[in-house]
Amino acid sequence: MKKLAGAVNCRYLLSLLLSILFAFLIGAGILAVSGFHPLEAYGAMLSGAFDSARHIGDFLEYAMVLCVCGLACVLGARVGIFNVGGEGQLLLGAIFAAQVGVWMDGQPRFLVIVCAALAAMAVGGLYAFLPGVLKVKVKVNEVITTIMLNTIAAYLCQYLAKGPWKNANKNMVAATEQLGAQYWFGNVIPRSNLTSAVFAAAVMAFLVWYVMERTSVGYEMRITGENPRFAFFSGLRTDRIVLLSMVVSGAMCGLVGMFRVYGVEHLYRDSVSKDYYFEALMVAMIAQYKPVTVILLSLFFAVLKIGAQGMELIGIPSQIYLIIQTVIIFCMAAESGITRSLTAAHERRRARRAAEERLKEELKHG
Amino acid sequence: MQENAVEFRHISMEFPGVLANDDVSLDIRKGEVFALVGENGAGKTTLMNILYGIHEPTNGEVHIRGEKVERFSPKTAISMGVGMVHQHFMLVPSFTVAQNIVMSREPRRLGVLFDNKAAEAAAQRLVEEYGLVVDPAAVVREIGVGLQQRVEILKTLYRGADILILDEPTAVLTPQETDELFAVIRRVVRELGMTVIIITHKLYEVMAISDRVGVMRKGRLIGVENTCDVDEKKLASMMVGRPVLYDRLEKAGEAGAEQIKVSYLTVCDDRGLVAVDGLSLSVRAGEVLGIAAIEGNGQSELLEAITGMRRIERGTVEVCGQNVTGKTAGEIRAVGLSHIPEDRLATGVSRSASVTDNLLMGKQRDPAFSGFAFHQRRSSIERYAEEVYEKFDIRGAGIDTAVGSMSGGNMQKVVVAREFSFDSPVLIIAQPTRGVDVGAIEFIHTRIIEKRNAGCAILLCSADLDEVFRLSDRIITMYEGHITGEFRTNDITKDEIGWYMTGHREGKEAAKA
Repeated sequence: MKKLAGAVNCRYLLSLLLSILFAFLIGAGILAVSGFHPLEAYGAMLSGAFDSARHIGDFLEYAMVLCVCGLACVLGARVGIFNVGGEGQLLLGAIFAAQVGVWMDGQPRFLVIVCAALAAMAVGGLYAFLPGVLKVKVKVNEVITTIMLNTIAAYLCQYLAKGPWKNANKNMVAATEQLGAQYWFGNVIPRSNLTSAVFAAAVMAFLVWYVMERTSVGYEMRITGENPRFAFFSGLRTDRIVLLSMVVSGAMCGLVGMFRVYGVEHLYRDSVSKDYYFEALMVAMIAQYKPVTVILLSLFFAVLKIGAQGMELIGIPSQIYLIIQTVIIFCMAAESGITRSLTAAHERRRARRAAEERLKEELKHG
Repeated sequence: MQENAVEFRHISMEFPGVLANDDVSLDIRKGEVFALVGENGAGKTTLMNILYGIHEPTNGEVHIRGEKVERFSPKTAISMGVGMVHQHFMLVPSFTVAQNIVMSREPRRLGVLFDNKAAEAAAQRLVEEYGLVVDPAAVVREIGVGLQQRVEILKTLYRGADILILDEPTAVLTPQETDELFAVIRRVVRELGMTVIIITHKLYEVMAISDRVGVMRKGRLIGVENTCDVDEKKLASMMVGRPVLYDRLEKAGEAGAEQIKVSYLTVCDDRGLVAVDGLSLSVRAGEVLGIAAIEGNGQSELLEAITGMRRIERGTVEVCGQNVTGKTAGEIRAVGLSHIPEDRLATGVSRSASVTDNLLMGKQRDPAFSGFAFHQRRSSIERYAEEVYEKFDIRGAGIDTAVGSMSGGNMQKVVVAREFSFDSPVLIIAQPTRGVDVGAIEFIHTRIIEKRNAGCAILLCSADLDEVFRLSDRIITMYEGHITGEFRTNDITKDEIGWYMTGHREGKEAAKA
């Protein structure tokens, strides 16, 4: 395994690094054409992420969001179900956690936080259960159902935040009542977005990695994802494995919503997530659904994202971040095809030469 | 000097990572039946695909009737009189026989309209000329496999082929159909002077039909012999590269208690049509019950229903005395059943997983392999895998290779090793040696009989009649979801059983008539 895995990893790592390099080169080209100095711009990006403790905290918080959402996606992908509905699960988890905090105002801090977390996980899990059960029982494509459910969740949250759970002080925007300050997560880095939620996220990330890479349960999940018929044939209850993974995936997304509310926003509003799950989805795909890679790439993309805000300060549109991200994905997708054709061409050349050699040998001797 | 129909000169063909043909030089004489034999992956089909223009060789030349082939394409090959009937037929099921035969060279009216009458007339002419009887107006979907094969042959003849390549033509045929095919081959060769190249790995067919035989092994042509100068044993050892011992399998012990009992079972196929129709059978401990049937007569569905892979519409299945009707595959396994599935790629393995992980399946929760908090004990897992790998003589690049990259024979050994390691009292075995080479077949057969002698109840299904006869104590024939006959293996011959497989209950009388 080690040798095989090593070879695969090396190729993957190389193509990832090349893709990133290529993306930065294209980004530099675009910057230069737009009249900015590329090095200066990238410098601003770096300092935008690292120049102060606050920015470091901000990118770590964003990395946490990407990482937990990305791992949620990995959890589904491992068993062969693609959860595209994390955004909806996150939003619903956020608004229910926020409202639980409003309802339980005055209760002890510990109790409120536990109840909010449970509510967020339950709502997120339930919202993933629906497409999961449709997939398992009647083979409805989960990609379609989860995308549709995202839209429903977004409008449902808007309705709740403008209607029954409306914030009395904010008439124009959709938002819930603010949480009591005693329920807010404590800051780990002062004045940044990074709160104690990061520890919970770290524990979750470790658990996901451990279960998937080190346990017999993770082994069963992997086999189910690779060949469900073989898994069922060998005696696994594949339906249950798929459904359970999907529910846990949804619960993780719901919990991220709760982290955003109790850590950063302190009430539910649209900015709880700006398609963060979809960025996490990209990260998971680039990482080829490997837990450790997801964690590392989450950090990388968080630096880019927060750093892009630093570029904006010197007048460079932060969209350059999106361009770089897209080009990386593009290169990674193209990589497998390009490498295959290159190796095939190489092999054929080698074969032709070897055949000619043999023929020459034979003519010499015969 | 006899004129050569085909000459291969120093042909090498390399696919990425595989040397499929390695400097093959071979002459095929005009008007002979040439048999090309070899294990799977020996390069027989590749060589013939080069002749038919599907592949361009990496090196070397092909001459057809002395003329060098310049461009490799099926179109050129057809124009030079080469026709090929592939293992998997290339017919349009919804078209008639005549329409399939004339396809790509249709007779036309007014330049654009398809002339069905002319097509049927042309087909009829061919049928009469070559004695390949088939109704030109019949729809291909509705005729049997043997007839479909005739249509394929007629198609090549219509295009003017006089060098005919047949790729494993008897794999899907009953013994009767095989005899008829051979009669046709003899006629076209003797009477019309055609050249026939037949790819096969059934050695008795080589002896029966061919004039000369070429043996391939690992891409190389090992030798070319006159068929009358060799016997099956010699060919087998040439194919494998070492002496093959066709020992008699020692069967021992008496049949014991009833371990599989199927009563009035009705099962549907994937399209929802009845595939198994109120069928009953039973298998006792220490016996092998073989099912002989032509593909698509409900035997696959029967085995899937017994093992919990398919829904049972009516009837009951009992395994080890317990009613398992409607249980899942996992629950039935827990009762004491192991299953070698018919389609190992789709059902029997996870191709992207390693040999270790494929061998582990079903034992992954065993306390020896899964400790506290489901932690996998990788070192004992690997030790176990090594041990099984050795014991079942699996050959490949070790226990860490992905199963998908192994040869069919070794992949099948992985499946057999895993399923046999459960020590279940009941074994359901489907196509145990399909696509498996001679050496591995011998090994797998020995293992199956060991299990039988150790008291397992074994239900076996195979498309290879020889295999059914070699392993079974009793044989049942199935036709369209029914049992059409039941025999002790010694009481019936292969020829007789063919009649039961085609639905004739009165087999013996029909055979005599």
